[in-house]
Amino acid sequence: MKELRLKRSRSNDKIFDAVVNTLAALILAAVLYPLIFIVSASFSDPALVLNGEVLLLPKQITLEAYRNVFDNDQIWNGYANTMVYTAIGTSVNLIMTTLAAYPLSRPDLPGRGVFMFIITLTMFISGGLIPSYLLVKSLGMVDTMWALIVPGAVATYNLIVMRTYFQSSIPWEIQEAAHIDGCSNWKLLTYVILPLSKPILAVMVLFYAVGHWNSYFNALIYIRSEELYPLQLVLREVLMVSQSDAVDSNVGLESKVLLAESIKYVVIIISSLPVLVMYPFVQKHFVKGVMIGSLKG
Amino acid sequence: MKSTATTTGAASRSRSGRSRLLKSMSSRYDLYLMLLIPIVWYLVFHYGPLYGLQIAFKNFSPAKGIFESSWVGLEHFERFVESYYFWRLLWNTVSINLFSLLFAFPIPILLALLINEIRSKAFSKIVQNVTYIPHFISIVVMVGMLMLFLSPRGGPVNAIIEALGGEPVRFLDSAAWFKTIFISSNIWQNMGWQSIIYIAALSGVNPQLYEAAKMDGASRLRRIWHVSLPGILPVIVILLILDVGHFMNVGFEKILLMQNNLNLESSDVISTFVYTTGILKGEYSYTAAIGLFNSVINLALLILVNRFARKKAETSLW
Amino acid sequence: MKRNWGTLLLSTLVVSGMTLTACSSGTPSDDKGDPSDTANNTKSVSAEGFPIVEEPIKLEMFTRIAPTNGPFKDMPVFQDYEKMSNIQVEFTEAPTDGFNEKKNLLFASNELPDALYRSGLTPLEATRYGAGGQLIPLEDLIESHAPNLKLLMDTYPEIRSAITTPEGHIYAIPGIVTVNAARTDKRWMNQTWLKKLNLKEPETTEELYEVLKAFRDQDPNGNGKQDELPMTARNGLSIVPIMGGSFGLDFQLGYNINLENDKVDIWMGSERNKELLMYLNKLYTEKLLDNELFTHKEAQYLAKQGSGNTGFFFDQTNNPMLDTKVADQYIGISPVEGPHGDRLQLAAPVPRDFGAFAITSVNKHPEATMRWVDYFYGDEGSTLLRFGRLNEHYELRDGIPYYTDAFLATGNQSKLTPYAGGGAPHLISEKVASYINPPQVQEAQKKLDPYMPEIRYAAPMFDEQTAQQINVLRNDIDKYYEEQSTKFIAGTLSFDKWEEFQATLKKMNIDELQKLYQEAYDNIKNQ
Repeated sequence: MKELRLKRSRSNDKIFDAVVNTLAALILAAVLYPLIFIVSASFSDPALVLNGEVLLLPKQITLEAYRNVFDNDQIWNGYANTMVYTAIGTSVNLIMTTLAAYPLSRPDLPGRGVFMFIITLTMFISGGLIPSYLLVKSLGMVDTMWALIVPGAVATYNLIVMRTYFQSSIPWEIQEAAHIDGCSNWKLLTYVILPLSKPILAVMVLFYAVGHWNSYFNALIYIRSEELYPLQLVLREVLMVSQSDAVDSNVGLESKVLLAESIKYVVIIISSLPVLVMYPFVQKHFVKGVMIGSLKG
Repeated sequence: MKSTATTTGAASRSRSGRSRLLKSMSSRYDLYLMLLIPIVWYLVFHYGPLYGLQIAFKNFSPAKGIFESSWVGLEHFERFVESYYFWRLLWNTVSINLFSLLFAFPIPILLALLINEIRSKAFSKIVQNVTYIPHFISIVVMVGMLMLFLSPRGGPVNAIIEALGGEPVRFLDSAAWFKTIFISSNIWQNMGWQSIIYIAALSGVNPQLYEAAKMDGASRLRRIWHVSLPGILPVIVILLILDVGHFMNVGFEKILLMQNNLNLESSDVISTFVYTTGILKGEYSYTAAIGLFNSVINLALLILVNRFARKKAETSLW
Repeated sequence: MKRNWGTLLLSTLVVSGMTLTACSSGTPSDDKGDPSDTANNTKSVSAEGFPIVEEPIKLEMFTRIAPTNGPFKDMPVFQDYEKMSNIQVEFTEAPTDGFNEKKNLLFASNELPDALYRSGLTPLEATRYGAGGQLIPLEDLIESHAPNLKLLMDTYPEIRSAITTPEGHIYAIPGIVTVNAARTDKRWMNQTWLKKLNLKEPETTEELYEVLKAFRDQDPNGNGKQDELPMTARNGLSIVPIMGGSFGLDFQLGYNINLENDKVDIWMGSERNKELLMYLNKLYTEKLLDNELFTHKEAQYLAKQGSGNTGFFFDQTNNPMLDTKVADQYIGISPVEGPHGDRLQLAAPVPRDFGAFAITSVNKHPEATMRWVDYFYGDEGSTLLRFGRLNEHYELRDGIPYYTDAFLATGNQSKLTPYAGGGAPHLISEKVASYINPPQVQEAQKKLDPYMPEIRYAAPMFDEQTAQQINVLRNDIDKYYEEQSTKFIAGTLSFDKWEEFQATLKKMNIDELQKLYQEAYDNIKNQ
């Protein structure tokens, strides 16, 4: 009897695996096709792309769009700036968010409901652009890197996600045990909580880093010196050409509009590659069973 | 709150509630110390500029500044509510969010569960990595691709429809199709990205629970239902609450690019209205008033859902 | 701890409050505060000739830099002009992307430059900042220190009407276009196809219809497939004003307005407009008019122009065709005559780019600044601005400047002149238009010239309150009108609903709007 059940469950398992793999393969195909299209379009004659003649593989291969993007000296400078902003910004984010998320995850903290409300409320009301600008200006941060880092030091959404993870994925018993051992809250955080929270820390690094990597609006408002421009701002400038509707008695603008069509695709590729290679490193930390080891030890 | 009692210990139980609270606070002074910098930051960078909110009730003139501009009371709100398209804007905004909540919210969860069940590690990683990429496609390109793929003149989707003997569909200038296209392309673009949180949460689920379920003879589906889902339920609930808190908002950039006069019937939403009639025309006060209108509704919804979640799922924001 | 937050919050409020009050006070009094100062300066500003000032002065200007431009300080026009005028201009360049945000923040935080160059101020902005004292009125300065601009304003009365507020102030000066070719979209017709099918240029709306039908059915590109695109236009309703001239619909005061005997007539609900929409609907449903008209974007439209597979379209220049070498296929034709004998060409107003230049209240040398910019409203200054240096960048043929071939070959034109990217404060006359007005475009314009409107009023200036009122009215009316018109053309709304359409426009208070425009027009007439 028992063997029969085992057999059945094994064959059930096989069916289940087959279903899972087929589904995953279908999703993969649905996502891959447009991605291949983007790569093909970046190498193709823009007029053919616009007329819908490029559907899978590149046609009339040209590197002009790539040449155009890389000819812009500002691109490399933008890359370097963005890397710096991302590195520093993400570190600040991580420290600030952890400092807030951990105490707020503690069920035994008096008044945490009030703090949470104060923080959550900021997702809904804001004073608008002008007061924020005046504040940043009065702090002397206009046209410095800090205008891109300090005003965005905490993302409330991320804070809440992190707090939820602390609360739900780390057993309260561990913390209590540590307390009985006479461990202070700082030590508890650094030696117990953080090592157990690698998956969420990895996610936070990813979310914040991608946020910095893609952000342009603060730079648009606060940065004036070209040498401080982040990559996205440089790329938006490159792309702007295609956005001008009124062709104003212009010097060969039309051909640039067409070129901008293929530049669009190039821009996606070169701006997202560095972020794409980041994911596997993040993924490494999504390992099951970390908790068990620590529980035993 | 049960735990509060245990940690504060039996001795304090006899004292009055007030001194107990003080004791409980002072014994955790270091937690408040941690909170100090973030809270100060919130006060300076979020609560400091809040005086700007008053422009929603004023006729803001940059030359006069925020404080010196004249009060107009609820005039901007009235103008918005009385505008010819108010109800259409409201319906489109609400319905797009409702459909998104119904369809776009669960899919990343399902994807995460699916990825979690893939046996081959390499394949699992490939699926994760590939589904994550579309998040980085800019909105302009995303909409450009929709136009190409859905074009009635030789777009692949219509080519398939025609091959099956159907009539080509004019997806992009039809009001009937707009919401479907908007939401499903959002799902396509963001499901991988949004599943990351769930995948991380799934990796925090205690493997011993799976073992135990296996011993009990639970099938894989049952294990998902009884172990995986409860394991990430708090995360799901919190993200759901946060999503409801954005109920009145829809990103305007993508809609604006997809919008034309032929699908306006179902693509006209509050955010695009604010952009075209408020921001582009430099009407700060009007823009602020509509923003505030949205926020108040959002906040009310959030408080409601939060209360509900606290009762039913024992998870809440505060 | 609580007190700490309290004080911190308070001090933040105070700090930002101080900046604000510092900003908001004083501005109007600033220019009144030092009349002696300005008086002193006036003496050293010569009323004509160069240098403008004896002692070198420095001005800060805020400008928009287009993606095609290089840094302004490297432009020959500003290098040479600095030596000539003794005025050194330091430009703060804001990219086109985010320019409007930055411009508005300048005013909101009161970090004003001396002047705004190529600033694209809207009429409402000009009125607001002018009334608030951040921009100074220019009408007297123009009178005394801007001979070129004054001459233009006397020659073309519509300039004054477009930039003067009801109180009689001018807060911003526009880019001015006197060469007709830069005011119109040419009507490019595929003459290769015409010849092949043995057709002549269409003269009436009916003939145009027949020609387009022939383009669709008779395979003029000879590939055996019915893949020709008979007619297309820029995205959206751009087709309405372009074809409106054949149905007696004019486009005055920057709006859907006919002027007859000094009466303002908003024609959106008129029978003529119904006829026009029915005609366009016929073209659209028979697939003569591009069915992607309402969805395609600028780039796609340009690609269609360059494909050579399009029969009839509209554009100011022939650039897209030049780029793809199908230029010979196209000639410009005249506007077609409508069923009631109307034949009018759509043209942009002479004061084409509103808000191109403005002087702020912190400027210590308004006279010198006005003289500085006025130079570009004459042929000499405009030539310097558009063409750079003689021999190095351009040569004269029959007294008309042309880029030298060597310079054209470098492909650097747009880097060296602030006119590339649009909206610069200067004059575009016949004399300086050689580059945008090559022979093919000139020929096309000649076909339009007889049908140009006598005078084309640009959008008038309103006082702030009226502007607000018009804004509120037009938000609903324009949106409704555009959406319904599109549906009429595309056939998703039947013309049975025309009465309902008219009734809704009435309900949205279109009569009130007409009254406001009438008042503005009367004001112009009385000036």
